Amino acid sequence: MATSALPSGQRPNIPSAAVRFPAIKSYEQVDSDIAGTLGPSLGWFAALGIAILCMLIGATTWTYQIHEGLGAAGYQPPVMWGVYIVTFVFWVGIGHAGTLISAILYLFRAGFRTSIYRASEAMTVFAVMTAGLFPILHLGRPWKFFYLIPYPNWRLIWPNPKSPLVWDVFAILTYLTISSTFLYIGLIPDIAILRDREKNPIRKAILAQLSLGWRNSDREWRHFTRAYLFLAAFATPLVLSVHSVVSFDFAMALTPGWHATIFPPYFVAGAIFSGIGMVFTIAIPLRKAFKLEHYITLNDIDAAAKLCLFTSTVVGLAYLTEFQIAWMSGNPFEQDYFWNRVFGQWAWAAWIMLICNCVLPLSLWSQKLRRNTTWLFILSLFINLGMWFERFVIVVPSLSHEFEPWQWGTYRPTWVDYGILLGSFGWFFMWFLLFIKQLPVMAMAEIKEVLIPRMKHSHDPTPDLTEGIVHPDETGATH
Amino acid sequence: MTQDTKKSGVKRREFLKVLGASSATLAVTACEEPTGHLIPYLVSPDQTVPGVSTYYATTCRECSAGCGIISETRDGRSIKLEGNPDHPLNRGALCAKGQSALQGLYNPDRFKTPMVNENGAWKAITWDDAIARLSNAVSAAKPQAAGAVFINQHESGSFPRFLDGWLASFGMPAHLSVDFEADHAAIEANRRSYGAAWPALSFQDAKLIVSFGADFLDGWGASVPQQLDFADARAKLDGAPRFVYIGPRRSLTGLNADEWLACKPGSELAIANALSGKGSIDAAATESGVPAAALQRLATELAAAKPALVVSGVSGENALDVALAVAAINQASGAVGTTIKPAQALTGFEGIAHTDQVLAAVEKMRAGGVGIAFVRGANLAHALPKAANFAEAFAKVGFRVSFSNVPDETSELCNLIIPDLHSLEQWGDAEPVKGTIGLQQPAMDPVYPTLSKTVPAALGTADLLIQVSKKAGSANQPADYRTWLFTQIPGGTTAISAALPKGIVSGSLAARTIAAAATTPKSTSIASTQGDLTLITYHSPLLGDGRGANKPWLQELPDPVTKICWSSWVEIHPETAQRLGIDRGDILEVKTATGTVRAPAFVYLGVHKDAIAMPIGQGHRSKANVPDFQPKHDDSKQTQWGYGRYARGIGANALDILPLGTNAGGGMILTATKASISKTGDHRTLPSTEGSARQHGRGIAQAINAADLSKPPAERREEELPGDASHAFLPGLRSPVAADAQGDLGSPTSADQGKNKGMYAPNEERGMSKRRWAMTIDLARCTGCSACVTACYSENNIPTVGAYWQNATLFADARPGFNIERGREMNWIRLERYFEGNLDGKFGEDFEARFVPMMCQQCGNAPCEPVCPVYATYHAPDGLNVQVYNRCVGTRYCSNNCPYKVRYFNWFGYGEADRKQYAFPEPLNWQLNPDVTVRGKGVMEKCSFCVQRIRESENRAAAEHREMQGDEFTTACAQACPSRAITFGDAADPNWSVTQLIADRRAYHVFEELNAFTAVVYLKKVNHPAAGAAPARA
Repeated sequence: MATSALPSGQRPNIPSAAVRFPAIKSYEQVDSDIAGTLGPSLGWFAALGIAILCMLIGATTWTYQIHEGLGAAGYQPPVMWGVYIVTFVFWVGIGHAGTLISAILYLFRAGFRTSIYRASEAMTVFAVMTAGLFPILHLGRPWKFFYLIPYPNWRLIWPNPKSPLVWDVFAILTYLTISSTFLYIGLIPDIAILRDREKNPIRKAILAQLSLGWRNSDREWRHFTRAYLFLAAFATPLVLSVHSVVSFDFAMALTPGWHATIFPPYFVAGAIFSGIGMVFTIAIPLRKAFKLEHYITLNDIDAAAKLCLFTSTVVGLAYLTEFQIAWMSGNPFEQDYFWNRVFGQWAWAAWIMLICNCVLPLSLWSQKLRRNTTWLFILSLFINLGMWFERFVIVVPSLSHEFEPWQWGTYRPTWVDYGILLGSFGWFFMWFLLFIKQLPVMAMAEIKEVLIPRMKHSHDPTPDLTEGIVHPDETGATH
Repeated sequence: MTQDTKKSGVKRREFLKVLGASSATLAVTACEEPTGHLIPYLVSPDQTVPGVSTYYATTCRECSAGCGIISETRDGRSIKLEGNPDHPLNRGALCAKGQSALQGLYNPDRFKTPMVNENGAWKAITWDDAIARLSNAVSAAKPQAAGAVFINQHESGSFPRFLDGWLASFGMPAHLSVDFEADHAAIEANRRSYGAAWPALSFQDAKLIVSFGADFLDGWGASVPQQLDFADARAKLDGAPRFVYIGPRRSLTGLNADEWLACKPGSELAIANALSGKGSIDAAATESGVPAAALQRLATELAAAKPALVVSGVSGENALDVALAVAAINQASGAVGTTIKPAQALTGFEGIAHTDQVLAAVEKMRAGGVGIAFVRGANLAHALPKAANFAEAFAKVGFRVSFSNVPDETSELCNLIIPDLHSLEQWGDAEPVKGTIGLQQPAMDPVYPTLSKTVPAALGTADLLIQVSKKAGSANQPADYRTWLFTQIPGGTTAISAALPKGIVSGSLAARTIAAAATTPKSTSIASTQGDLTLITYHSPLLGDGRGANKPWLQELPDPVTKICWSSWVEIHPETAQRLGIDRGDILEVKTATGTVRAPAFVYLGVHKDAIAMPIGQGHRSKANVPDFQPKHDDSKQTQWGYGRYARGIGANALDILPLGTNAGGGMILTATKASISKTGDHRTLPSTEGSARQHGRGIAQAINAADLSKPPAERREEELPGDASHAFLPGLRSPVAADAQGDLGSPTSADQGKNKGMYAPNEERGMSKRRWAMTIDLARCTGCSACVTACYSENNIPTVGAYWQNATLFADARPGFNIERGREMNWIRLERYFEGNLDGKFGEDFEARFVPMMCQQCGNAPCEPVCPVYATYHAPDGLNVQVYNRCVGTRYCSNNCPYKVRYFNWFGYGEADRKQYAFPEPLNWQLNPDVTVRGKGVMEKCSFCVQRIRESENRAAAEHREMQGDEFTTACAQACPSRAITFGDAADPNWSVTQLIADRRAYHVFEELNAFTAVVYLKKVNHPAAGAAPARA
């Protein structure tokens, strides 16, 4: 952040509205700008329609797969996991950026999170909801999925606590619970604003319920900020643990290419990287469509791009480390696999991964490109692609080239795999599109918090809305 | 209570309870399979105890050898065939073909009733009608009786004499007993040299084995006894005979040889002459392309080997000359009486009609001199080269009767089909070995009884012929064939009753009197044919002349050499393939003067660079236009002409391009022409189970040179395995079999080197089971024949998945072997075939093949167990790694984590009758083993060490209040193995022979470094390199 540009006497890590949002003049403007994005439009209906169509294609395909058996998908033993697990890890990864931005950056007091955290938090919840489908969807007998849940039963059979798949169940469910709670808590003051602006009595009643009777009082703010801080602290380790646990699905197995201690940090870095990529994919069109350029400023985008660059280099280092470990291990199975990874039948996938995740993001060393939203959007698509292929490279080539050469194989997905992959995007965007027209994609209350000091000296004729709102500095809340 | 309810109505709480419970039940049961019902016998038939098997000793009729089999019959249905341990021929072992007889019995395309062709349309008729029609036809043909032809699939025993007698009573000539797989040249040479069609070959007594294209493990002669003896010979390790294979194509037998001399097709005679001293080595080297040094070395070796065993099975025009030259070598080396035993001749090969005679009969038909023709079993329309124009000649016969019970190509050309019973449903006999009669008794009632009041329910062809005779008013007819048969066997009914439990009677049957066949070789010289590559055709070791093709087990069983199933292929040497720009799987067009066929290329090191090889057996076609088989719709409505749903339309028939020729021995010439090949531009992924043909130094199939075995460990030259340096100084088994994840005392690092059995020790205080089930597989014995695989399919209800309709329904490829292409085969035990040496695919450089049967290793520290989220796979106290199908949700994580990749997933509902992928269409499902679950869609399965057999034996021992005895029972694979390579038992009990074998100096675990503590121990293959030759390298 451009701290040097701050007027003297201000706390460096809470940049004033002049720096953060120079074009925003009043609370009312914040409310009207953001609440104004909520009305459904023709374009939105079209997008939602496409998303629902994709989701329906996925749902139909899944129904067919359940009826026919998993053989309808492209599995080719020994590749027993394919597109579904790849996509599962992909969506879990996407689900990481939201909590990173809303919780970790909150604790680190990174100001640029303010404008993008709500959208990315919603993205997190929906991505985890999407990811959560896949472990069920890839089962041979999905109707028996509840065997993985520890429920009391007459036969006294419990899930196997040694199995990383059981850890997954807990990790994903915990993460989904916390991230949706965190999203909802953060939404309460904004829902109250919407409630106050709402004319339709039914919607108003619903919003009133959802806002839990928020009255904007001192006590409420005190409790709210405490709760928010607590949840942020609570969610932070989850960001690290969930993807670590997901990485255990691989790292705990013997399979060459999977069995590596580097996997947890490597997966977490990859998850954050892919999540930020998805944030760009979502936020940049949103910023344009909702005319939020004043809120999601180039400075914010620049800062997020730096984070993206940083995680890209971490991921790149992890890739190299894997090769180094294989080289130094003296383990012929491991070495053979890694040689095969870059020069074997799956080389194309590995090179897509390396170029998208390690080479293209290097462009972000240039400030010009960091501030070029078109380039960032294109890059983010490459990152999404690259990160999908990263998981593909981990899952498929490892399985196809294991210990037993007689059982080496290949893998070719069928339309069923692609149908369900498409369906997952439809499912995700359906929820996201519904969200952005029902609830504010930006934390109005938090933006106003930043505005407060300026408002006091403002010559703006709008009525002072600060009555009853306590400045964070006065409450002692740690912003 | 009722009053209360009336008063208060249903309370809210009760309502909610009921609502919750019922909706939960509904939600769960909606996904469950419907429940079936078991109906017990009201009055049980004799000897039938539900759930307890009865065993019937009978005779296998799948080839001419006539092995003894035992049919396990449960609740009136035959469910498994095993070798008869008391039978002198096969001594308890049985090949894949023999075991698959069960699928001939239960073939879903079997005729249920007689059929008649009227005006080109087929119609089912009653048995009485069929007998009447046959009688009329026989009477009508009386004027032309002398010209009648009866062609029977060759079998030894009394039936041929019965048949000849029946034919004679109508004035018809003796029948032709055909076997297209028989090597007539070898038989003729044997007759001339040793006075027997097929003397017993005693491999154990040989000092050197040389085979000129004689594939004694592939189906040349009697595979099972030959394999038993060969394996016994090889099991002598450093004292075993070296085996040299000479021929242009390396068959399964060739792959078992220590050295392959790849000679030019047709040059075997020069080599044989050189070896016997009649020709010069140099001339032979020039003609055959084999280096003179190698021939010289072999000649020296052969001269020193007293006795040697040299066999010839070449398929060219000079086959008889080679066989006679070879016989001369044998006689010179003192082989007769030691390694070649005419006194113990295999009499199953006596009386086979020469192909010459068959062709003469075909010509007679063409000339219009045949009024009536009968065909039983033999499928001439498929097994004769297209050049013989059989269909055209056959059409000129006045009346054509088939006794085939499956809709094969020949039956389709007939007027009347009266299906014979399967050999497991009728009485018969065989004389497989001189002096021993094998009995054939029905193992069950017919699958399709006659349902007639006037004729017996079980009506085989013999009984049918008796009925016809009776109708014709012939006196002195026996009551039925069984009555007649019992009079033929020495000792009569008393002897038979006593012998039936064992299935064998001592003594000989009266010989069948047949006129000696005149042999008129009919061949065009191969040299005069066009093409740049010699076409070698050979009978598939599994499908034979095509007879096996309608049995899904045999279709699904990968060819032992190429590992391809559900397809034909063209074998081509890598150098030739490179020269012509051909890749594995390219569809080639093979062209000869007689026609063209298309088949995918299989690039194979073991074929001469100037030759291509094609198997015979596939390419069944119907004459009528039968629509593709539609499961669920076609099951009973459509006759599956073209040899049934599993055979029709698969691959190409190599006989379509083979010119017609017979050699001086009277047999068909299979290497008869040159051919040219061209790429069609099409390509297909071969339906092969082979991943990589090389083991990349991973030590899966390990070998040791015989000379190193006797050396002290320090001087022993072991193979070096990368990443496993310790192997060099620590040969043999490092981690004890008994070691287990829970048995910390069994650690491989323990001071006692695994003598401690950990928790499996008999008096172990933790009170775990005292057993540790284990297995040894002796690679010095294993020949790769794959009989164990079929045994496993049979025992464990493994579905076959390669039929073209067994793929998904929508937008899915429907081609045979699609699921195999995708690696979805379900073989719980698989035969891996690895090549060693000659990495560059150079012609003239030898290579070695190693076979490894690979099944679940029942690890003590199993990688699959901890990863299963639901305990569907867990560790049983007796060391088994158990799979619980009902618990499995299908995450497939266990398979991902299995280093041996021996877990198989049910991608489709192969076991569900209402699905198109159903693997056991009625009545194939009659064969299912009731002791083993048929797995549902979406669950994982794998080798269970035949846990049903373990529990059965344990229960039997418990019921009889005794301890289990050593080697009391064994698994299906071990039972069937014709090499006796597999030994199963309790590694914690010294009474089982597996405990001694585990201590063998050749023992090793696969991927020992992974610390899985496997219960399967492999014993290294033993190589016998030529003196002075470079040893084989991993």
